[in-house]
Amino acid sequence: MSAVILTDEQREALQEITNVGMGQAGASIATILNEFVHLSVPKIFILRADEISPSIVSLVGDAEVSAVRQAFHGAFRGEAIVIYRNQSHTDIADLMGYDPDVDTVEEYELILDVTNILVGACLGGVAEQIRADIGFSAPSIMAEHIPAGRLISPDEVGSAWALFVEVNFALEGRSFACHLIALMPEEEILAVGKALDWFMETL
Amino acid sequence: MSVSVLVVDDSPMARKMLIKALPPSWDVTITQASNGIEALAAYRTGTVDVMFLDLTMPEMDGYQVLETLRKEDLNCLVIVVSADIQPGAQQRVRQLGAIAFVKKPVKPADVQSVLKEYGILV
Repeated sequence: MSAVILTDEQREALQEITNVGMGQAGASIATILNEFVHLSVPKIFILRADEISPSIVSLVGDAEVSAVRQAFHGAFRGEAIVIYRNQSHTDIADLMGYDPDVDTVEEYELILDVTNILVGACLGGVAEQIRADIGFSAPSIMAEHIPAGRLISPDEVGSAWALFVEVNFALEGRSFACHLIALMPEEEILAVGKALDWFMETL
Repeated sequence: MSVSVLVVDDSPMARKMLIKALPPSWDVTITQASNGIEALAAYRTGTVDVMFLDLTMPEMDGYQVLETLRKEDLNCLVIVVSADIQPGAQQRVRQLGAIAFVKKPVKPADVQSVLKEYGILV
């Protein structure tokens, strides 16, 4: 079914382009946190609205998470969501030299900053490769300490199908792990497909 | 004599981009592999002179390939080609025996300068 919206070739190209964006984002946080970031192969899915929440659960597990959302617009419109496992806040604060009993407000400022860097580098890197201009809204806290399965409900997705791009970052020897997903509605997927075709033609 | 080049990447598009970035004047025979296991199988035929190796791959990643090659008495020149551009990744692959690191997206000029630096291309 999903092949109707994005061909195998387009999906494969998007995966490799995302891989390069992920590498740029990984290098940014590796520098900021002064740690080695473990990267894995990004995954591309086209999902029905009601499949998104289960996919998030299978990605992060059933644990409590916090999440930050950041919209992007321009050549493509969609929303990036960075999901943090709960211990990850404390880990970032610790790595950045904050006091162990740093208050919640500061902790959230930190994950907003980290989100902004990850999304900007990763999606900015994707857009740059396919010569598309995109801009970003300010990131905002989407949820704090809630079960992963309650992060997003199908009616929030706003389209029947969505492009789900999954990128994972983990720090070696730390519990810190976060997942970046980019969600784009149906009508945008076509625009992405066209940009990918153009990109592949230039190779 | 033609140089035997093995291009290892899980992405067909990335392999195509790398092959297009090789100097046109370089006389090469190209073989491709889409993961570490295939790469080692090709390497063990004993004919690979230069290997372009991606790091992030399913099945067996580039780090594991380098570790295995080191145990098996590394007998070809490995150039890592990766999107993982953090300084730590470059250090690790050099420690594991790779001679050079080329950043993705691959630029022909970067490939050429690495090949010249190591005397692979005169």
